[in-house]
Amino acid sequence: MDLVDSTQQLLETAMRGSWQRQTALTSNIANADTPGYKRQEVNFESELQSAMSGGEPLDQVQFATEVQPEEAGPNGTSVSVDEESAKLAENGLDYQALAQVLSARNSIVSAAIGVTP
Amino acid sequence: MGLFEAIGIAGSGLTAERVRMDVTAENLANADTTKAAGGLPYQRQEVELKQAGEEGFSSALSGAIKQAESGPPAGGVEVTGVVSDATPDQQVYDPGSPEADAQGYVKMPNISTVTEMTDLISESQSYQSDVTAMQTAKSMFTATLGVLK
Repeated sequence: MDLVDSTQQLLETAMRGSWQRQTALTSNIANADTPGYKRQEVNFESELQSAMSGGEPLDQVQFATEVQPEEAGPNGTSVSVDEESAKLAENGLDYQALAQVLSARNSIVSAAIGVTP
Repeated sequence: MGLFEAIGIAGSGLTAERVRMDVTAENLANADTTKAAGGLPYQRQEVELKQAGEEGFSSALSGAIKQAESGPPAGGVEVTGVVSDATPDQQVYDPGSPEADAQGYVKMPNISTVTEMTDLISESQSYQSDVTAMQTAKSMFTATLGVLK
């Protein structure tokens, strides 16, 4: 087994995707009052899944930020600030969970090779 | 993908909302100003917003050139200008006023205090949402730094 195994790579790639989603959600919130703005979404889970089943190297997976072709609401944008805020909170917690798992795995490896973290 | 991009985008939202709040405050303060520029009643001002760094070659190029300069990052929001609302002035019947015309009407600004107050509420809520987005980005940075421990 390599020191950096596939789970470690998967965690890192998921963190990258989550980070990209965070940027997209922040854009949506910042443009909540910009007329004509269309909300963006990063659906990294499905892309990650297809990359895994296709056997692609995970560190080269690029996620797409997709502009959603939704109808604009009465304020001229397709953004609902409440929805975006909820997604933002969820994504932030997801990211922290991933970071903690990564951290725990690192400390296991450290213990195994005799480095006190 | 910059590490601090999300904070910059939320920051551009804060700037835009603050400009909108400033303009709303100006409108409220001048709700009864009958003599503004040119001796005409004050005209309601409105902020124009635009998504920063919209797709397209020329904007991508100028974005790349201007990257070092200050300005909202791509995906953020920018204020393109403050424009006058073209709604006609209100006519108020007040024959006692020194401003009244021959028929006793006074031209008042095209401002509805109710509209301005509701705008102000929505602006302050958008501002708070931007602050929340910035705080989430901050806690995500902290989690990243925690991996190094």
